Amino acid sequence: MTHDQILIEIRAMLTEIIGAEYALGLDIGMGTSFDADLELESIEFVKLSAMLTERYGDRVDFVAFLATKELNEIIDMTVGEVVTYLADRLAPAGALDG
Amino acid sequence: MADVTAGGVRFHVQRLAPHHRPGQPEHPVVLIHGLGMDNLSSFYYTLANPLAHAGAEVILYDLRGHGMSERPRTGYQVRDSVTDLALILDALSIDGPVHLVGNSYGGMVALGFAVAYPARVASMVPIEANFSIAGWAEWIETGRQKTSSEPAAQSLLAPLGRKVVRMAGAADELLDRTTFLADLRAMQPIPAAELRRLACPVRAVHGEHSDAVDYGRHLVELLPHCVLTVLPGCGHSVLMDATAALREIVLDWFASQTPAGFR
Repeated sequence: MTHDQILIEIRAMLTEIIGAEYALGLDIGMGTSFDADLELESIEFVKLSAMLTERYGDRVDFVAFLATKELNEIIDMTVGEVVTYLADRLAPAGALDG
Repeated sequence: MADVTAGGVRFHVQRLAPHHRPGQPEHPVVLIHGLGMDNLSSFYYTLANPLAHAGAEVILYDLRGHGMSERPRTGYQVRDSVTDLALILDALSIDGPVHLVGNSYGGMVALGFAVAYPARVASMVPIEANFSIAGWAEWIETGRQKTSSEPAAQSLLAPLGRKVVRMAGAADELLDRTTFLADLRAMQPIPAAELRRLACPVRAVHGEHSDAVDYGRHLVELLPHCVLTVLPGCGHSVLMDATAALREIVLDWFASQTPAGFR
């Protein structure tokens, strides 16, 4: 999957979590931060992680991704960092599919 | 799986499985958060993923009335929290022993659960745990009066953004629409005689400057096998203020509790 495809999917998940009414006023891109820009509650970020794990399955080890991050690094994370991580993890399988 | 219905209440549950050691037999580690504004994310951001990455199956849940769990009108005494945990584990088909890590009130729930169901607890790590929460209801109400005595508190909050408004709203719901405060006032301490019977390994952690540190010292008097660490320079927020030190303590603890190795 390309970065753009993943970004579109994450945008849809975030819209479901924070509600279309609020999300419509935001331009969610690679540089958007979950905390400062989206004002995502921490429990909502947990929800997003669960949705991503459900969507992409075992190919994405979100536990490993978060296990090495300190609290402030998780809070300061941008949408783009998650997209890039997912794209890297999904790339080999995508190549095989193709 | 995100939602589990236990005792007629819907609970938000997150289960993290170790990726690199599938199927490894190991007691799950259950993380229990604190009261009020807290929810499972405080553990998710700090200990849950490192524990799962090290090889543990980790279970996090939002207490009733907290996070994304249902907010029923009643049931906010510690005995209710203990029953909730038992029913959640039943619903997850976990009838063997579990390791418990509880922060603040979550530590009190862990201690209460071990007293009620000794066979279901492999070991526990109470962090800043209390045996009694006398005075908490008054403390929460005083804090709230300070903010709500301001004129039009909601309109003052609004410019602070979506997150603050939502968190304040959730806290208001818990305080205004449930028996939460009345239950806090009515809650009885866990009797010392019952705590003294705990046989499972206990690893207590407290902050040096916390009001709750005496509970840790008292626990060691009651349970000579309890290992206590008092983290220097910390208050009650050990989980947030000393995350790295706490993470090492908890990972080492579970390594020592796992004969087959861990980490």
